[in-house]
Amino acid sequence: MVKDFELRINGRVYRVRAFEDEPLLWVIRERLRLTGTKFGCGIGVCGACTLLVGRQAVRSCLLPVKDAVGKEITTIEGLPSNHPLKRAWIELQVPQCGYCQPGQIMEAYALLLENPRPTREQIVQRLSSHLCRCGTYNRIVRAVEKAVGGRT
Amino acid sequence: MITRRDLLKLSGLTLSVMLMPEGYRILKAQEVPRRYAPNLWINLSRDNYLTVLVNKSEMGQGVYTGLAMLVAEELDFPWERVRVRPAPAGRAYVDPKMGIQLTGGSTSVRNMYETLRLAGASMREMLIASASKRLKVPADRISAESGYLLVEGKRYAYGEFVDLASKEQIPAKPRLKEPKEFIYIGRSVPRIDAPEKVDGKAVFGIDTFEEGMVYAIVERPPYFGAKAFKVDSTEAKRVPEVVDVFPISTGVAICGESFWACQKARRSLKIEWSESFVKGWEDKDLENYFLQKLRERGEVVRVKGSPQRVFESSPVKVEETYIQPYLYHATMEPMACLAWVKKDECIVYAPTQSQTWVLETAKRVSGLPEGRIKVITTYLGGGFGRKANVEFVAEALEISKRLSRPVKLIYTREDDIRSGYYRPYSATHIKVSADQRGNINSLSFKIAVQPLLGGRASVEGVENTHYNIPNLYVEKVDVELPISVWFWRSVGSTHNAFSLETILDRIAYQTKQDPGELRLKLLRDNPVAYKVVQTAMERSGWGKRKNLGIAYHYSFGSHACHVAEVELDAKSGQVKVKRVVAVIDVGPVVVHPDLIRSQVEGSVVMGLSMALKEKVSFRGGGVENSNFGSYGLLTMDETPEIEVHILTSNRQRGGVGEPGLPPTAPAVANALLWGYGIRVNRLPMTPEYIKSLL
Repeated sequence: MVKDFELRINGRVYRVRAFEDEPLLWVIRERLRLTGTKFGCGIGVCGACTLLVGRQAVRSCLLPVKDAVGKEITTIEGLPSNHPLKRAWIELQVPQCGYCQPGQIMEAYALLLENPRPTREQIVQRLSSHLCRCGTYNRIVRAVEKAVGGRT
Repeated sequence: MITRRDLLKLSGLTLSVMLMPEGYRILKAQEVPRRYAPNLWINLSRDNYLTVLVNKSEMGQGVYTGLAMLVAEELDFPWERVRVRPAPAGRAYVDPKMGIQLTGGSTSVRNMYETLRLAGASMREMLIASASKRLKVPADRISAESGYLLVEGKRYAYGEFVDLASKEQIPAKPRLKEPKEFIYIGRSVPRIDAPEKVDGKAVFGIDTFEEGMVYAIVERPPYFGAKAFKVDSTEAKRVPEVVDVFPISTGVAICGESFWACQKARRSLKIEWSESFVKGWEDKDLENYFLQKLRERGEVVRVKGSPQRVFESSPVKVEETYIQPYLYHATMEPMACLAWVKKDECIVYAPTQSQTWVLETAKRVSGLPEGRIKVITTYLGGGFGRKANVEFVAEALEISKRLSRPVKLIYTREDDIRSGYYRPYSATHIKVSADQRGNINSLSFKIAVQPLLGGRASVEGVENTHYNIPNLYVEKVDVELPISVWFWRSVGSTHNAFSLETILDRIAYQTKQDPGELRLKLLRDNPVAYKVVQTAMERSGWGKRKNLGIAYHYSFGSHACHVAEVELDAKSGQVKVKRVVAVIDVGPVVVHPDLIRSQVEGSVVMGLSMALKEKVSFRGGGVENSNFGSYGLLTMDETPEIEVHILTSNRQRGGVGEPGLPPTAPAVANALLWGYGIRVNRLPMTPEYIKSLL
């Protein structure tokens, strides 16, 4: 049941021992200590654990680690600090408690990879699957819009 | 982690501020006698960095930014060279007004405002005095600017003088700036915590580690008030990486080398639970119980005039009974704590709002004296009152003590939702009457609710209402149940603002009065509140736009009035809030406008979430909701445009974190009354409930 896995995260190779059915979230956070990816619900509803597998946004609390082997994983730590999204997040002073923000940013990042010029409606539709108890929603929308505008 | 000894060793100039009977007193670090308790430490280093040790918890409200900027203001120091670190727990860091180390009640800036400014001003004067001596230039020809002293055309970094300044006397009465001299106060400096939060580097309670650490989860009773009396852990202990399974005071602890091992083991755990008073209760039983309590005689908190007689003889009367549910805090970071009880030392990493209570708990569980206990406050992934409770800290300590290893306890979302400590359930009966001309002449309020703050929270916002109502009656019935209750952002005002503000609109509706004008009439003796309501009306297009609802409430020292614009889909019963205009008066000073704006925006979102979606449901005496699927929070597509207006007035400073919440739900309900004739008397306003009223 407990096996060795090799994972590619943010361009680095990690070797880690974990349960086959252990969600990628717990492996990354607790075994590898990349704690930017957050635990929120464990059932794929809140979005706090969102990271990228390839170019897709994935809820890592639902993805068994064995299914992530051989794939390119990107977490919040892998997105450079000067990325337009991170800069826009700071410029608009989005975070309050900050706990859900890595997931929000990674979802926005995946959205922009798919669609570099999303409309406001597309942004809202996509990010409505992420919960923020502090209520930073309106600022998140503006930050994504700002990052989109700043990419030209 | 910084200790008192570390502070004394810090190079540069370190000051502490203490609250003494005669007022604040500022001392150099090395002069602080052991028996005294300074509330704050600040350090200016030789390489010109300012470090402020903040005794308040950062849970999103921006307290690290707000408090540090007060020091930087008076010191005249560049913002980008300011650092904040969480203060340790201990008597040295208590809130000067509360007497304990607690972040709550919307008090941080209110209580620390003078202290921090005095500290910054003292430091500046000591730097100038030392420069004056060394450079032989009169002090009045030296000025301070952005981390530099300007002396006859030359610039010297503050850092060059810190050692000399340490030898200077503390100024007896440091001069504080006049408002027109402010460089930061009133300006939105960048949040000090934003970069690390955006980079995923901010450390929350759940992100802490110690070598040799064990994970723990706790299986708690399926209904409140029960204990585990038979535990079969044979199967659970066979799961790889499981370390131990044993009962603790709140349930059964499952400990393992990984979180996932604990989760797997939990599934094969067999527990028999004892009986409890509420076993088997459903929502309906709860409601009946509270309604029955509401009929019992309670404690009369306030009587003004002759409310009963006036009510009976008045031509216009409205009565209503309100039911409001238990609410869950839903911090995005669930409860988590890392504790390590060693033989002669105890370390606790906690996302806590209450260092004092963590310390007390650690003393009790470990049996060690205060000096042997280190509490490290992490960032809080949301607080809203919940993380001032320390039951999760006690559990982690208890497990660590048993295992003699560091233990990181994590609540799953299911554990967190079902753990209790909710905003109390309440049943309220209100009677209001008016005279021939529609002037409100009596208000009688009675509530049955589990008490908080010795019962004061039960009636807050009503007992002390700013409305000029000549005859007032306030009664509360204290309810006791094994379902635990706790402070939820804005506390008693969450339920009382809803009942009070909606009944006012009922009487306005019945007497065909404008509900905004009615409030202005009731507040005519209070110019601050009057202006808040008036501004909300002006800014919202009151009288010009359709489907608006208004509500005003005073809490935590601030006045707030919101106008909500709604749209109802009659077919589905779905309420859509399109716009909220929120006005808040915070007293004489706006320290950081954008932090106030973001707090009010967040309060409105949480208020709407409570208004439209949130309810802890009961089944079999336990909580039916299991996760965010069955306890919905407001989402981005449901969030309206929110406009915040900040007013000031010459009076005591008001709070910011909470007062923006209470008027939200009643403003929405009132909009439904005027727009669609719907009389709401319970929350949340789900589509099913609204449809049942159509």
